[in-house]
Amino acid sequence: MLKLSHFQAMVLFALIISIAFGFFGRRRLTEQIKYVLWALFLFLLIGIGVGWAMYPFSR
Amino acid sequence: MVDMAASEGEQQNLQPQAKAILVGLAGWAVPGLGHALLKMWGRAVACFAAVGALVVFGASMRGNLFGPDGADAFDKLGFIADAGSGCFYFVARAMEAAGPDVSHALGDYGTRFLATAGVLNLLAALHAYEAAHGRKV
Repeated sequence: MLKLSHFQAMVLFALIISIAFGFFGRRRLTEQIKYVLWALFLFLLIGIGVGWAMYPFSR
Repeated sequence: MVDMAASEGEQQNLQPQAKAILVGLAGWAVPGLGHALLKMWGRAVACFAAVGALVVFGASMRGNLFGPDGADAFDKLGFIADAGSGCFYFVARAMEAAGPDVSHALGDYGTRFLATAGVLNLLAALHAYEAAHGRKV
């Protein structure tokens, strides 16, 4: 069984989905790379942001 | 004469429609095949790799793979999402010989990975269908 931390699982998920979105959402390679990086950044930012927003209610 | 012309026109319309449906179904059955048939190689490889990676990681995390005999609506929806990954559904089933383990958070993440793989592939198949119609490039 694969062993990953919560953060590693989130990064892996965000990376795979960002690559897929980049290739489907844009046509040129440079635009695709920019879109992948932007989507990845937003995934991580929102993921960590939501994680911190839930922190006061976690216990 | 007018009827013949109308019939020919209908046949000409039917052919691209049949091709688009075939492309969509191929894209669902084998992730990336729909785009490969349209010679969109980059998207075909990206789709195959993304869906494949999600399925392999999801199954390695021992996520829950829903079967067709779901007891409630959520199980049925889960099956629809999982079955969206086409042939990779059977790959995940073969990889999970020991069954799912959602007693840990990672197993729960694996369930999401598997469902996302299916939904992403359905989205890709729809994209290929639209591209076959010339509505998306």
